Amino acid sequence: MTVNGSRWSGDVPARQTLCDFLRDELELTGTHVGCEQGACGACTILGDGEAVRSCLMLAVQADGMELTTIEGMGEPGNLSTLQAAFLRHRAFQCGFCTPGFLASAAEILGSGRRYSRRELRDMLSGNVCRCTGYEPIVEAVFECQR
Amino acid sequence: MPEVGTDNRELLVTGRGRFIADIAPDDCVDVCFVRSPLPHAVIRSVRLSSSQATWGAELGLQPLSLEAGAMVTTLWHPMPTERVRYVGEPVAMSWGASRYEAEDLAEAISVDYAALPPGTPLHDEAPDDVLFSRSFDSGGVDEAMAQAHLVVERTFKAARQSALPLEGRGVVADHDETSGVTTLWTSTQLPHLVRRGVAHALGAPESSVRVMVPHVGGGFGLKATLYVEEIALAALARRLGTPVRWIEDRTENLLAGTHGHDTRVSLRVAVGVDGRVHAIDADVLADVGAYSVWPGTAVIEPAIAAFSLFGPYALEAVRFRARAAASSRSPVGPCRGIGHNAAVFATERVMDVVAAELGIDPLEVRRRNAVRDFPWTSPTGRELDSGDYLALIRRLEEASNYQGLLREQAQARSEGRLVGIGVSLFNEITASGSADYRRRGVTSVPGTDAARVVVTAEGRVEIYTSAADAGQGHAETYRTLAERELGLRPEEVDVIEGDTALCPEGSGTFISRGAVGVMESVVEALRKAAKEDFEPGTDVTHVHDPSQVYPSGAHLAVVEVDPVGHVPHVVRYVAIEDCGRMLDRDLVEGQVRGGIAMGIGEMLLEEHTYSEDGQLLTSSLRHYLPPLAPDVPAVEIHHLESLSPITALGSKGVGEAGTIGAFGAIANAVVDAVGPLGAELTELPYSPERILGAVRGEPPRVAS
Ligand code: FES
Ligand code: FES
Repeated sequence: MTVNGSRWSGDVPARQTLCDFLRDELELTGTHVGCEQGACGACTILGDGEAVRSCLMLAVQADGMELTTIEGMGEPGNLSTLQAAFLRHRAFQCGFCTPGFLASAAEILGSGRRYSRRELRDMLSGNVCRCTGYEPIVEAVFECQR
Repeated sequence: MPEVGTDNRELLVTGRGRFIADIAPDDCVDVCFVRSPLPHAVIRSVRLSSSQATWGAELGLQPLSLEAGAMVTTLWHPMPTERVRYVGEPVAMSWGASRYEAEDLAEAISVDYAALPPGTPLHDEAPDDVLFSRSFDSGGVDEAMAQAHLVVERTFKAARQSALPLEGRGVVADHDETSGVTTLWTSTQLPHLVRRGVAHALGAPESSVRVMVPHVGGGFGLKATLYVEEIALAALARRLGTPVRWIEDRTENLLAGTHGHDTRVSLRVAVGVDGRVHAIDADVLADVGAYSVWPGTAVIEPAIAAFSLFGPYALEAVRFRARAAASSRSPVGPCRGIGHNAAVFATERVMDVVAAELGIDPLEVRRRNAVRDFPWTSPTGRELDSGDYLALIRRLEEASNYQGLLREQAQARSEGRLVGIGVSLFNEITASGSADYRRRGVTSVPGTDAARVVVTAEGRVEIYTSAADAGQGHAETYRTLAERELGLRPEEVDVIEGDTALCPEGSGTFISRGAVGVMESVVEALRKAAKEDFEPGTDVTHVHDPSQVYPSGAHLAVVEVDPVGHVPHVVRYVAIEDCGRMLDRDLVEGQVRGGIAMGIGEMLLEEHTYSEDGQLLTSSLRHYLPPLAPDVPAVEIHHLESLSPITALGSKGVGEAGTIGAFGAIANAVVDAVGPLGAELTELPYSPERILGAVRGEPPRVAS
């Protein structure tokens, strides 16, 4: 598989989830685990350009895929447009949900379509944020559509 | 987490933060807990089946005794050896090279339980299961009831909920033989209190435990008590001599993280012909779960609820009884808005009942009852330091275009739509000082907050505080403060929090003490350093003992209930906030907006339920429903700043106000929406089932 542009190959335990593989094997700890039940979206990453929940996939199922985690989206001092918008709009407080929201938002922006704020709220309804009340997240994504 | 040089927010937005699950020292083993499957049972025997497992009998932990006035002294047993008292209570633990391995070993542990019959008292010390009871009578209540034009009588029930930080709990412990110090990384709001509690339970001196707090993925009260897992991991690290770590999964979090609220409020209220409320007679009963968790969680919810009833209104007489009852459920701890939520829910519903009975507009009835002159002393002895409640109401009326909304509502109703408008006026108590704790008989919480300012040889200014950040943005606030008050450049200020070895001792971060006590201590310490011209080598500490202050607010919600599925939807929300002087408007608005979202969730969606045989039915996010983006509207926030005369900066704290206000405004909006159908809802949450039940005239479920 390819992770953030680098190829990786090797054996993984059959029962290891993709999020545990990313965090424990590759030490990409920016992918957060909030429920392991597919309900909170914190573990969302991009798999072949689509938002996927890395807690609901086994690592072996990612065989051959191209994955992008938060670590591949930008770095301090060199933020992506979306990350900069998240900062400016204060779209996070504790930051635990942020990697997942950024992945979901990247998928939405990747479609190239413009959505209304209401549509964005519906499209982001697979991610839980307990801190912000969602509004600044919606605003940040809305702004990046331009 | 220290914030030195870099801005943590850039780290967080790029996935470079360091949360508890990101800490994995070399040779670290992962721990899994075996938890009680029964609500109340005797432990007959434990078979571990492996050398990588242990339980309470081998750990030799000391029980912690609970202290508080008007409370039976009960013992809290971390990793009990004789009896379990709730489903999810940790009994044994196993460890392995990964969590997967640890879970395999946990499956091999067998515990033999003998279930106790329902009704068996949980604590021998409290045969009636009452852990706390307090009565208050100002006198004059019976006279007021006898003379009243109207006596309103109602019972309300606030649901059992979870604060549900998105990140669960977690602990990493490492023991150093040479120094004898156990270092405990833990996702907590209370570093110093955890150190004290863990040391007590281990029977070790406090100096042998160092608590460090990484980035914290939200707390909201759930991370503001000492937990069994913190004690157990420290004990295990001492025994094994290798680093150990436990990262909670969501099921454990919902099962064994503290729950919130679960409070019933029964009220009798004496009202004059003009809608003035003269006196209240209240009974508050909180189900606090299996234990009062150290340092005494059982007291907080019922006591704050009772004292907060009719908080912003000028009562003449008050009588109440407040009790905490034990049950074989998860312990209840602090949860954003603790006590206030149930009080504001009941109070604001009653204000609307009074308005309806007497044909007075809801805003007008609040205007007639609001405290006008400050400082004001309530019949229960609360000293409201400052505020301008009439201005709050006026601003709410203007900002929401209240009259226009009433016309729109009339129009919608004529079309058969169920649209409701709800308002709330509230105040809340923030920060408690040492005297408040001593009065309640609590000695383990210092009640003070502290800050230390050090100027390094290179001239950087380091601020150390007794608080711990869980996403509120402390470092940013202190830097703004240092810039605004003393002209320092934010880049030259470093903030170090959440390390008991470096930071001055204090109470931690809860009941919104951040913006009051901690901020005061930071300002005072900075001012002391300024007197020394921030010369390198300057090292000053300020300990602040805060007095209670009362931020306030007025909220308005518009809710539409769909007439088929009875799903309530919040379509508009206006909040007027008065937290005194705002240090950083963006951070204040972030707290208010997030708080309101939580309030909307707790009013409409969130509820922990147990089956008849004591099993938690809501142990996954498929069943416990936090609000999502479509459930929450954009919130219109406006500010009033009535400065507190008793804090150095005039600020009053804001961490919980949003949630508290929503308990009144949403409650009234939903009831107003379904009012034309003749329904009055008294139990939370206002889920579609409950709304439908009320519309059909079914009695509310018996509040257990
Ligand atoms: S951790 Fe994957 S959805 Fe919650
Ligand atoms: S910022 Fe804390 S959960 Fe979203």
